[in-house]
Amino acid sequence: MSTLHVVFKVAGAEYAIPASEVLQMESFTGATPVPGAPPHVAGLVQVRGRVVPVVDARARFGMPAAERTLDSRVVVGQLGTRTVGLLVDSAREVMKLAPEQLQPPPPLVAEQARGFVKAVAQLGPRLVMLIDFSRVIGEEKVHAD
Amino acid sequence: MSVDLADFLPAYLTEVEELLGAANTHLLALETAARQRSASPRHVRELFRALHTIKGLSAMIDVETIVSIAHWMETALRQADHAGGRLPESSIEPLMEGLRAIEQRVRQLALGKPIAEVPRALLERLEALDLNAPGRASTQTASARLELEPTLAAKLSTSEQEQLLAGVNGGRRAIRLDYVPSAERAAAGLTINTVRERLGKLAEIVKVIPVAGPTSGAGNLTFALLLLTSTEDAVLLEAVGGPPAKVTPLSSVPAEPAPAPAASALPDESSLFEEERAAAEPRRAGVLRVEVSRLDEALERLAALVVNRSKLARAVAELTAAGAPTRELVQVLQENARQLRDLRAAILHLRMVRVGDVLERMPLLLRGLRRTTGKQARLVMDVGDAELDKAVADRLLPALVHLVRNAMDHALERPDERRAAGKPEEGVVRLACHARTSGRLELTVSDDGRGVDVAAVAARAGVPVPGSSAELLELLCRPGLSTRASANATSGRGMGMDIVKRIIVDQLGGELSLETQPGKGTTFSLCVPLTITILDAFVFECAALRYAVPVSAVEEIIEVDTAHLVRPPGLGDGGVTLVERRGQAVPLVRLERLLQRDDGRAAPGPKAFVVRQRGTPVAFAVDRLLGQQEIVLRPLEDPLVQVPGVAGATDLGDGQPTLVLDLPALGAARGGAARAERPAQRGGVA
Repeated sequence: MSTLHVVFKVAGAEYAIPASEVLQMESFTGATPVPGAPPHVAGLVQVRGRVVPVVDARARFGMPAAERTLDSRVVVGQLGTRTVGLLVDSAREVMKLAPEQLQPPPPLVAEQARGFVKAVAQLGPRLVMLIDFSRVIGEEKVHAD
Repeated sequence: MSVDLADFLPAYLTEVEELLGAANTHLLALETAARQRSASPRHVRELFRALHTIKGLSAMIDVETIVSIAHWMETALRQADHAGGRLPESSIEPLMEGLRAIEQRVRQLALGKPIAEVPRALLERLEALDLNAPGRASTQTASARLELEPTLAAKLSTSEQEQLLAGVNGGRRAIRLDYVPSAERAAAGLTINTVRERLGKLAEIVKVIPVAGPTSGAGNLTFALLLLTSTEDAVLLEAVGGPPAKVTPLSSVPAEPAPAPAASALPDESSLFEEERAAAEPRRAGVLRVEVSRLDEALERLAALVVNRSKLARAVAELTAAGAPTRELVQVLQENARQLRDLRAAILHLRMVRVGDVLERMPLLLRGLRRTTGKQARLVMDVGDAELDKAVADRLLPALVHLVRNAMDHALERPDERRAAGKPEEGVVRLACHARTSGRLELTVSDDGRGVDVAAVAARAGVPVPGSSAELLELLCRPGLSTRASANATSGRGMGMDIVKRIIVDQLGGELSLETQPGKGTTFSLCVPLTITILDAFVFECAALRYAVPVSAVEEIIEVDTAHLVRPPGLGDGGVTLVERRGQAVPLVRLERLLQRDDGRAAPGPKAFVVRQRGTPVAFAVDRLLGQQEIVLRPLEDPLVQVPGVAGATDLGDGQPTLVLDLPALGAARGGAARAERPAQRGGVA
């Protein structure tokens, strides 16, 4: 059965995350920095009365920092009881992905991507990487128990 | 099961929790009474009542093990009640165990774990308390019947009816004895209370029911006493002052409707109230139990309003600046601010719990510790009727438990040592609290034990002997250090004072201090805010970002005169400077460095907040003070952003979270790191 995914861009590459893990998308107007937080944490944003930490996808993926634009988006994801945002360059599309469209990432990629990439979907000329949201935001152990 | 357990469970748990609390209190009182060989019928009754309700509730959700433990405890108590409220000391222990066993199973139920079976040995011990046990089974099956008029029957619980039946089956008579109070009788010393006392010796009082209503005389009140007795009617009547009192058997013909007292006097008012109170079930009138989550929700809504008001205020300020006529708007806004403050006070008030209720379990803790440590001690609680926000109370309790346990484990001496030191064998642990103004509560936990052996603690930690109590406290709060300084202190683990400190200082933003005298004892003083959800804060700017800090944490705001800064030698330009405050040298820290937003400016900010860090004042320089306002503190729960020194975030109305800083914790956590890390990274995207 194919499931709905949110597709977003970081440094020119396309990524996807199951829509069921996404609470909402917000445009990015800046985050409040938190001193002492991990370097990939852009800071705090407020989403409908809640204070949510935002992980900078570029910083997390080891990409160079870029100017924020009107396209910048915060993908707000729900992981168990945690709500965490992911700051991406843009996010404009949702698409259905069937399990047979998803391939495990080549070993070299899997290694290099520190487990962030769960699978790769090939859609004609497009390659969309399915990310492991809980790994990307870090603190995997919180999720393990 | 047709009823969904999950729906019923929360209500069950809260109710049983409360009943267990009451049961504990009464059982502890009974223990005291038993030790003094005195009777305490009230506590027997109350304990019975609590257990009976627990039994009923547990039966409703099919927890058979709790039902049977409660049942056997009830049976033992019935015996005590028959004996006029006298409980032999030997039966306290099994009852305690029974209560523990019930608590344990309630906990298992709460956690969704399988419920443990009833320990056979416990049931046998409880059963052994029932002196009539052998005959019981046969009498239960006997076919006595009660003849109760419906109005009376409605007021009797099943257990009371059972109690009457059991009495009849046991060969006693169940009767209704009517006592009619009057002014003359009261003057002669005959009130419902003395009647109870007298009858208590002649009969078992199952229940006293006040019957009001028009009578043939002018009087309008009768007390119907339901008794089990072997005493003759004449003697009983004599005890209640003779006619118009009368005796009606309950196990034969139905009694006539309310008898006509001839006395033409007013009822004894005080006893009437007492009886009514007793007749109304234990639930206090006008008290409503509310789930905390609902109160949280109300607070959440209020928070939204507070934030909205800030937005409104900004908009109006902009209009005013643009020259619009806003006088009326400003007035409305002010009125709105006042209403919000009142509403906030009202909601916070709802969340307040009595400190005394929070500490309900302390006597029980001490009792357990008496047994495990073998020390003699009593707990003196002097907590008055101060109140605390539920959220604060929940966090405070573990710290107090730690301190009381410490006092028992480490501070108090064994009886022989105390005797040798010329002290009474029984030690005293005192828990006191008194509210203080400015939204803070002060508590003390003190003991009359041996005092902290400062030299021994220092030797243990391998440091020089501390020179002040603040330094000693600092040392005691080192993670992993045990206060068990003396070699002959028997009991176990060194409880972490670091945990106490973390709760009081870091989590609650309170203060902790210590006073100890060799041979005399130790006192810990705790000072905590009454509430931590909505607070008054100073809003300020530092390195181009806004922050807030609780007003209660700030001792003073000072102007920083750069001309009068003193730089101690040897620290380079990254070090702390000193600023003069009323003749005292106060270290001045540049906040932007702690916040890792140092832009390399030469001078510290022109204003500084003075806070107490480890008992000594420290000034934090900032750029601009923006004002004081009420904020809603949202704790940061995600591990990604849980960092020391940041108490939470708040919304000042611009939609952007503003960090609420805990300056003492920030200074303590990053004092060293910030210097080492320069040049600091510019975090995030502003």
